[in-house]
Amino acid sequence: MSKTILSVRNLNKVYQDDKSVILENVNLDVEEREFLTILGPSGCGKTTLLRCIAGFEDYTGTVTTDGKVTKDPDVDRFMVFQDFNQLFPWKTVKKNIQYPLRIQGLKDKDELERIANETIASVGLKGYENYYPYQLSGGMKQRVAIAKALALKSKIILMDEPFAALDAMTRTRLQKELLNISKKTDCTFMFVTHNIQEAIILGTRILVFGDGGKILVDEKNPLAKPVSPSSEGYGEFWDRLHSALYQSDN
Amino acid sequence: MMNRKKALIAKALFLLAFVIIWEIVAKRNVFGSNSQIVFPTIETIAKAFVRNFKVGYAGISLWKYILNSMELLLIGLFLGIFLAFVFSAISMINPTFYEIYNMLVSICDLLPGVALLPVVIIIFGIHRSVIVFLVIHSVIWPMSRNLLDGFHSFPQIYIEAGMNIGLRGKSLLTGVYLPATTAYILSGLKVGWARAWRGLLSAEMIFGIASSPGIGLFINQMRTNLNNAEVYATLIVIIIIGVIVQYGIIDTIEKHTIKKWGMSK
Repeated sequence: MSKTILSVRNLNKVYQDDKSVILENVNLDVEEREFLTILGPSGCGKTTLLRCIAGFEDYTGTVTTDGKVTKDPDVDRFMVFQDFNQLFPWKTVKKNIQYPLRIQGLKDKDELERIANETIASVGLKGYENYYPYQLSGGMKQRVAIAKALALKSKIILMDEPFAALDAMTRTRLQKELLNISKKTDCTFMFVTHNIQEAIILGTRILVFGDGGKILVDEKNPLAKPVSPSSEGYGEFWDRLHSALYQSDN
Repeated sequence: MMNRKKALIAKALFLLAFVIIWEIVAKRNVFGSNSQIVFPTIETIAKAFVRNFKVGYAGISLWKYILNSMELLLIGLFLGIFLAFVFSAISMINPTFYEIYNMLVSICDLLPGVALLPVVIIIFGIHRSVIVFLVIHSVIWPMSRNLLDGFHSFPQIYIEAGMNIGLRGKSLLTGVYLPATTAYILSGLKVGWARAWRGLLSAEMIFGIASSPGIGLFINQMRTNLNNAEVYATLIVIIIIGVIVQYGIIDTIEKHTIKKWGMSK
């Protein structure tokens, strides 16, 4: 049995401005190396949950990462945002990946070089090491953000609709690549999306959130990877998630 | 927009036409018997240019005047920029300090340095420190204004991305806030330098300090002695210094930072 890498207990989040409740008593355990995808209607709090886990929001309750209670942002939980601006524009691709490692105290130049080259290659950006972010497409920027997490060996990679702003073809390609990456690493993924197909293709476990972060569906993905719409049982599973999603919307 | 070559030719032709018209006006004594004083010929100005450096005024070459001015300017610029960074950084940490400092910047930014001269002279006397004070005053407020605005207007996701990789406090300031506001810092530097340079020359023209004579004093002495060719020649020197700072220094920094990073066109 895998060990629990992340556990969320009695997490409540109320916005200061209008006292609206975003998350109400959320409890969740995530196992090591799981690829958890979270579906939910807009405003259900799925992004807020990621932000709480990452430490960017104040909340009540506890988040425990690998046995330690975590409250502030740190490299063990790495957030990949939807916003392409998450890379530092004043650093090249390679420097964007190496800088966090330096901050973490890695000084060995050869080692920095090796890690950067390895992770850049793993996200398919070989040859772009010395490009500045403004010279990259949106999809490439998101790959660099993923590479940062891989280089840091973050335990949990939190992904907040990272492919939502990409065109359909790039999106499909990145899904495939992310799937391959996730198989090779020991990272645990939490991936928020609006897209049912994306959730099924990537997730080993799928959650559907209702209002206030209420968990409506929590299922292991019954379909064997790689999943395509022609996989056996795809339609049935899609329907189940779809009706849960739209039921929550009413 | 015109292509570069065409634009260059147009500019060169304009300057050439300007010089030719000047020369015609000068040679023809268009302004009567005193015309040579108002419009000395190009040759006279060129000779005065050389004489400024060779002979200078009161036995001191113009070089020395330039160096004196530059010394005070650099001391003031350095202190002004340093203080702007310190106060703006404190403003980011302490909200009360931010409110007060923001108000102070808004007020003082509107106050021309030269207008402060009477007060400053009463406090410091006629001394080099008056000029340094004026330069600091010229640079600290626009620089602070740009830093404060810059800190609040870059994409806030940089801060979260920075915190996510373990940056906190001072490291967040140097690792995210400063590079993210480079465009604002440079624009503050441009305004600050331009104001300081003008303020310095004005102050030197209003009162020259014998112990540290500067370009302003030099040009004023030339005017007093009706050496107008020398005045024009000194104006050219002042323009050259401005061009070196603007295009040689500030533009080079821009090219190697915000332009290289795609943060400015």
